[in-house]
Amino acid sequence: MPIKPIEPHISARGLSKTYRVVERGEGLAASIKSLFHRRYQNVDAVCEINFNIQRGEMVGFIGPNGAGKTTTLKMLSGLLHPSAGEARVAGYVPWERKTGFLKRISMVLGNKSQMLWDIPPMDTFRVLGEIYQVPRAAFQQTLDELVELLDMSALLTKPVRNLSLGERMKCELVAGLLHQPEVLFLDEPTLGLDVSMQNRLRSFFKAYNRTRGATIILTSHYMADVTALCPRVILIHRGRLLYDGELSGLAERLAPFKIIRFALTNGPAAIALPESAHLLPSEDDHMACRTSREDAPAVTSYLLNTYSVADLTVEDPPIEAVIDQVYQEGEV
Amino acid sequence: MRYFRLIVRFLRASAQQEMAYSVNFFISLIYSLLNLGVGVAGLDILFTQVQSIQGWDYASTLALLGIYLVVTALRELFIGPSLEALAGMEGEIMSGKFDFTLLRPIDIQFMSSFRAWRLFALLDLALGIGVIWRALAIPGSLLAPGNILVFAVVMCAGMLVMYSILLAFSALVFWSPGFLFTWVFDGLIQLARYPVGMYPQWLRFVLTWVIPVGVITTIPAQALSGNLPAGYLAGSVGLAVVFFLGASFLFRRSVRRYTSASS
Amino acid sequence: MNYQGGLALIKRTWASWLQARGFFWVLAFGWMIPPLIYLFVWSTAAGEQTVAGMDRGEFIGYYLLIILSNQLTYSTTNWTVGDVIRYGQLNTWLLRPLPPIFEAFAAEIAGKVVFMLFVLPVSGILALLLRPELHTTWMEGVAFVPALLMAWALRFFWGYWLALLAFWATRADSLLVIQDSLVFLLSGVVAPFALLPAGVAAVARWLPFRYMVGFPVEILSGQLPAGEMLLGFAIQIAWLALAVFLSIVIWKKGLRRYAAVGG
Repeated sequence: MPIKPIEPHISARGLSKTYRVVERGEGLAASIKSLFHRRYQNVDAVCEINFNIQRGEMVGFIGPNGAGKTTTLKMLSGLLHPSAGEARVAGYVPWERKTGFLKRISMVLGNKSQMLWDIPPMDTFRVLGEIYQVPRAAFQQTLDELVELLDMSALLTKPVRNLSLGERMKCELVAGLLHQPEVLFLDEPTLGLDVSMQNRLRSFFKAYNRTRGATIILTSHYMADVTALCPRVILIHRGRLLYDGELSGLAERLAPFKIIRFALTNGPAAIALPESAHLLPSEDDHMACRTSREDAPAVTSYLLNTYSVADLTVEDPPIEAVIDQVYQEGEV
Repeated sequence: MRYFRLIVRFLRASAQQEMAYSVNFFISLIYSLLNLGVGVAGLDILFTQVQSIQGWDYASTLALLGIYLVVTALRELFIGPSLEALAGMEGEIMSGKFDFTLLRPIDIQFMSSFRAWRLFALLDLALGIGVIWRALAIPGSLLAPGNILVFAVVMCAGMLVMYSILLAFSALVFWSPGFLFTWVFDGLIQLARYPVGMYPQWLRFVLTWVIPVGVITTIPAQALSGNLPAGYLAGSVGLAVVFFLGASFLFRRSVRRYTSASS
Repeated sequence: MNYQGGLALIKRTWASWLQARGFFWVLAFGWMIPPLIYLFVWSTAAGEQTVAGMDRGEFIGYYLLIILSNQLTYSTTNWTVGDVIRYGQLNTWLLRPLPPIFEAFAAEIAGKVVFMLFVLPVSGILALLLRPELHTTWMEGVAFVPALLMAWALRFFWGYWLALLAFWATRADSLLVIQDSLVFLLSGVVAPFALLPAGVAAVARWLPFRYMVGFPVEILSGQLPAGEMLLGFAIQIAWLALAVFLSIVIWKKGLRRYAAVGG
């Protein structure tokens, strides 16, 4: 008996979005002209994006500012109609904005708050509970669990304007998860938070994904978020999908080089390296050089044979450097 | 039923927000009394010089002022704050928080119209009713309480028209974000303080058929004095329904535009 | 005196306000409506016969001048001064090598220009459509200019010292609302000064509000005999001196408190 393939939880086919933007020049003369004659420009924000995401996966969308990550997320959450292409999320077409769909998804934005400002978060939660028609028992249970996981029982009765940024972010998360969504879109959730809070939130997301099986798409500029949480990344640059796979694979594809860190028994000194290796600025008493993946073994044995080496490691380049290179060069 | 419970929730949340700042209560009180005082003083000054203008005497014009206060109080109660939260200066359309509203599994028009309440407006409502009462009590006035039923119907029609105009103006913000259409409405509604009969012929036409601000207060005031010409009852109800349907259609169309064109 | 700095500030303010001209024109539209309403009401009242010696055309002429005078004397910065103090932006002003009142002046000038870009054409169109009448003399025309300038100064400084109370009280802007209401009633918007009830007029003659908007217009439209005009000037100058004095004193005291309490 043939096994029916499981339909992906989130899928995109040829997803595209083009904007018409008004061109506006500088100065008074240009403003007056623009009153009578408008010039438009077509901006391709997203171009032919395809991917499938299975239920329970945690995927990172990475890419420079303006790459189209947020636009893609907005299309997947139904906030934007695409110019072309299709998508399905949790079995629905997002931009039809059916009630069943809206109840199954949630979006948390790092830079915009959905909390009512002057009153305690508990009151916003109650309103949301009513809006999402969460049964009272389930509401209380979910709330208790989230409050405990995030350690925020003391915050529930303080007006939101009196909370710190990290505390407000916790409230945003509770607000976004009260109705137990199947799909969670996180747009820069750790923006502006201190390191310990970022760590705590990362553990939270991991735990949530594991225990609830929610599918999570995360965008973040902090590579630490992506490295810690997302086994799979989708790299979007200038509206195009450049890479879809494991993060480690990205490093391999983009930066096929290795960094050899070594320490000489007599401390840093001037040395001669083969042509295939480039010396990097040294830190402390360690020296470092960069070489291609293929040449790494040869350079390693050269160093070990030629100099008196006290310590030597061969490393992958830091992922930030890899991504930086993509952002600068604009292609893979 | 569900929508009723939602309204209760919205009411409670808004009430709590209002009470977070107690000084606002006294300020609101002062503003309400000031609004009333200036309105009545204006009428007193006007009618020191004339007995009646185009058939409107002091009593009937005062009644119209009372109707204006009642109608604007209702606007201040929930329609105004809710649509301001959407389309006003610090509104969601401009700040981008409209995305959150779009994500809710609730009808957008309902949410945009009932979401925020300002209970201080009940004070204005009471003041307005007081003014109408006072106008009815003026000896020799032409006002006849017997027309209450007709009055109630055209009042409701007038309020539906006001809601529709404000909804339409708010919808326009989607097409030209940054332009404060709701403030334009604020200016135009001032014209409803006086009967359209007191305005020149061409303005009367505009205020009855183009932007029917006149319908909101003048027709109920005419109903109160038994002067309502035949057919105006059905006419104003019909106008209200047409405007409501048109404004709702415009609003939904505008939301669609937002999701197609925004970034 | 840092004239160059002042000029640069004016230019920059002017440029940025011009960018936001849509916002300001909506404001100007809103301010035009109350005098416009009374223009219509009085001209309709005077349709068949004169009211207190003024006929329809004269009312229209008078109110068009009121619209211009109101716009030219209206001080928008008084509203922002309170906010600037409350939200600590004052620190930025204080650090500049310019007396902070220059910021207010720059905003005033920018505002006048941007508002006039809207109000002048609209008034012109209304004048063409409504056929106003204006009976004036050379002397009145000459007296009009200083009266208008001092009216602006009076309205500005009177609002300024009220706004400066923000150094002590959070909602000092409610006093500005009261000032606007009194200007509306007593400064020739609701009715020309000559048409006010006798008791009210007797009091209003000695209060500053008449001299903020209505007085220059009364001069230009020939409603004041020479003796009245001179008396009016004297009262205007006296109130202006008081307003400037209060502004200076309260500014100094307030600044001391601001520095002591922390911004």
